[in-house]
Amino acid sequence: MNEKTPIIDARSIDKFYGGYQALKQVSLSVHAGEFVALVGPSGCGKTSLLKILAGFEDLSGGSLTIDGHDMVGVPSSARPTRMVFQKLALFPHRTVHQNIAFPLKLARRPKEEIDRRVGEMMELMHLRAAYATRYPAQLSGGEQQRVALARSMVSQPSVLLLDEPLSALDVKLKKSLQAEIKRLHRTVGTSFVHVTHDLEEAMMLADRICVMRAGRILQTGAPSDIYFRPVNGFVAGFIGETNLLPTRIERPAGGLRFEAPGLSCAEPVLGTDQAAEGLEAGEAALMIRPEMIVLSKNAADDGECVMEGRVEEFFIKGASIQYRVNVPGVEAAVVAEVPGTSQPPADVGDNVRLSFARADLFVLHRD
Amino acid sequence: MADQRKSWRDRGLMLATLPVSALMLFFFLVPLGLTAALSFQSTKYYRVVWSWDTGTWIDVFTHGHYWSIMLQTITMALACVALCIIISLPVAYALVNRMRSVENHVKVLIVFAFLTDAVLKTFGWVLFLDRTGVMNGMLETIGFGPAATDILFNPGATLLGMVYNLLPYTIFTIYLSLARIDRDLVLAAYDAGASRLRTFWEVTLPLSRPGVIAGGVLVFVLSLGVFLESKVMGGGTSPMAAELIRQTFETRVNWPLGAALTLVVIAIGVLTLGGAGALFLHLNSRKGTA
Amino acid sequence: MTRDRLEGHLANIVLYGSVAGVLVFFYIPILTLILFSFSESRFLSFPIEALSLRWYGELFAANDFWPALRNSAVLASVSTVFATMFGIGGAIAWIRWRFRFQRFFQGLTFAPLLFPQLLLGVVMLLWFSVLGSWLDFSPGLWSAIIGHVVYITPFALVIIAVQVHGFDDTLEDAARDAGANRWQVFREITLPLIWPGVFSAAIFAFLLSWGNFYITYSLAGTARTLPTFVFSGIAVGSSPIYPALATLSFVPALLLVGLADVFRRRAAARRAAPPKSE
Repeated sequence: MNEKTPIIDARSIDKFYGGYQALKQVSLSVHAGEFVALVGPSGCGKTSLLKILAGFEDLSGGSLTIDGHDMVGVPSSARPTRMVFQKLALFPHRTVHQNIAFPLKLARRPKEEIDRRVGEMMELMHLRAAYATRYPAQLSGGEQQRVALARSMVSQPSVLLLDEPLSALDVKLKKSLQAEIKRLHRTVGTSFVHVTHDLEEAMMLADRICVMRAGRILQTGAPSDIYFRPVNGFVAGFIGETNLLPTRIERPAGGLRFEAPGLSCAEPVLGTDQAAEGLEAGEAALMIRPEMIVLSKNAADDGECVMEGRVEEFFIKGASIQYRVNVPGVEAAVVAEVPGTSQPPADVGDNVRLSFARADLFVLHRD
Repeated sequence: MADQRKSWRDRGLMLATLPVSALMLFFFLVPLGLTAALSFQSTKYYRVVWSWDTGTWIDVFTHGHYWSIMLQTITMALACVALCIIISLPVAYALVNRMRSVENHVKVLIVFAFLTDAVLKTFGWVLFLDRTGVMNGMLETIGFGPAATDILFNPGATLLGMVYNLLPYTIFTIYLSLARIDRDLVLAAYDAGASRLRTFWEVTLPLSRPGVIAGGVLVFVLSLGVFLESKVMGGGTSPMAAELIRQTFETRVNWPLGAALTLVVIAIGVLTLGGAGALFLHLNSRKGTA
Repeated sequence: MTRDRLEGHLANIVLYGSVAGVLVFFYIPILTLILFSFSESRFLSFPIEALSLRWYGELFAANDFWPALRNSAVLASVSTVFATMFGIGGAIAWIRWRFRFQRFFQGLTFAPLLFPQLLLGVVMLLWFSVLGSWLDFSPGLWSAIIGHVVYITPFALVIIAVQVHGFDDTLEDAARDAGANRWQVFREITLPLIWPGVFSAAIFAFLLSWGNFYITYSLAGTARTLPTFVFSGIAVGSSPIYPALATLSFVPALLLVGLADVFRRRAAARRAAPPKSE
């Protein structure tokens, strides 16, 4: 990662729509060549933030510089950013070539340069040269996506902003375009800011992820941080299923002591790095990811920490089998994901032991 | 998202709205006001006297003659509305449901006829229906003898001309409302065991009501101003309000009276529009509670 | 089942019959005029004994014909340009924007559509007469132009509004994002996308003006256009030159409507996807 001055430097941004506050004191910096994903449920403010970066919306408070220039009052047409729209916004009355060439034409580039650049972009995006004369309506969904990417990248912006461009696609096409976007990012070295409500997509693509909720950034960090060291229950629950056990923590010198009903550990102490930042003694949540749990019917098979319960239901998912286990003292069923076999290790109603390493536990804020 | 809020300081908004607003204000709204003002003046030796009195209006309200013409105009307009709707319903229905392939050609043909000069078309009707016209000529050749039927120069001929000139309005409004009906609703009615006729009666017709009302109101209001048809085809046998107004201005040169009569016709039109609007709201509110 | 079949047959007869009937009805006077325009006879009576182009010659020789043609052309062209321009701005403001006094604006620009033409003409004539006596001028072709623009603008506005409805705002955002200023966005994106509506509106406007009688009759003063020329002629007594004039005046309408259809088809062909070559 580049430690120079960031390409995008947004500080304490507020955004009001009438009386409604869409963004509350949001700060974000993006470095040259970095791929940042903004993630959150709908209405969390991620799209508002992107529109402020693109210049489609004014900010109500705070400051924004891009490429070292103050962006307040600068219209989108004069910003070094380009946007890929959710609905792509390809011009239906222009051919593929004319669509891609549009930004260059507006910048009054010479015709040879335009043709050369458009050709290069089409090649880079694996668009067949014969498509140049087609209209957007005559292309498949995936091809349209690639034209939209080509149009946004053709004038070599400093930042590419992507507004959930993949959300309307079916799963297979989505996967292939995710790979395409990743490859494009590696090839061109431009900073990407990608908005999505799909944390899995964000983890696959981004160097850094910002999880947002209700107009605030909850956590910014590398994908592995977001997954294994979420700041609170909301972030933890945003991707996949996870187990959050209500717990009380104390902080005697040398470690973090915890106790949680239904859970017995040989030594209930965690390292200080196993807790979310700013955590105080008191009520908290203890997270254990389902795939870290070993499930057995054999009482002798002990890990460092153990829970006992009865199988409520199980689902065969192919590569894995998911168990939901009722543990006395824990309100929600504990989820365990075990490797798939042709013989499920336990049946509904069986008494099982769930064991895992103490190092796989992480303490976070309740919320 | 679709709504862009614009402030009046926005140059685009000013450019888009101010010239046309100025035009309509200065050449539509102001003239209307002037007409209202004129109706309170009187006339002497064919000249308007700015007397500001209600003499003209008293005149209008006490002369049964004017009102019988208004009544006749309204009757003709209502007959025209009824005929236009009855004819337009099957045509619009057929365009939407049966003739997808030739729909556009039929529409172009109707639009072309609609946009052709009304005087010429009316004149064409005269040539067709005249004593020595095409229709009688054809009737004669197939053996109906020389008993030339007189079709022209009666209220029926006026009505024919009115329907002819105004029919496209109802065809298109009803067409638009029928085209918007969700095809699944009709299929659902078939699925529930309804016959075609019953489906049309219970599903299609009620859903086409906005188009029927809008088209009907439009035709009614525009019928109030007809005079070409009554003069050329009706031969003056059915005096209509517009003809009366024209005569008041041109022959009698009584501007205050002409202005007052114009306002009466406009008032009838506005009341009809208001009534239709209220009906619309009423129907919609019922839909809301259902 | 058979009853349903019978109903179906009956319905088809009524439906197809009504369309055919209406088309015949619409074209009876038009075809009658075309037929009579080629008649040899001085009297407009049927059956026609001999065909000739004689009355076309007489029409071209008539003194009043050429000024009327010129006036019609000027009136229709100028009215079309203004009505279409006002229609574009008005339709965008109607559909896509929200602003103070919007209801008033919508009412003001729509109301003339609900006015019988004769009354519209009369009301405006009163105003022009008053203005004329103040400022010392008399109505003529220019006042007819204003009348036509007032009458036709709502039609143009509604036709363009249909096209503007469903316009995707993000296309304009995308153009702005690519570096376009306001004028470029309008010229490169907005106008081309609403062009089909603008084009139909212009044709509609031209033909409404070209064939308009009532408003011209009220407002043109002593200036004659083709419709008022015909009206004054047939009021005196029908002459065989009028069918010839009618037939000729159908020509621009036919050309324009045909042209519009060609454009519509071409636009439709562009939107339709060809067989995928994958």
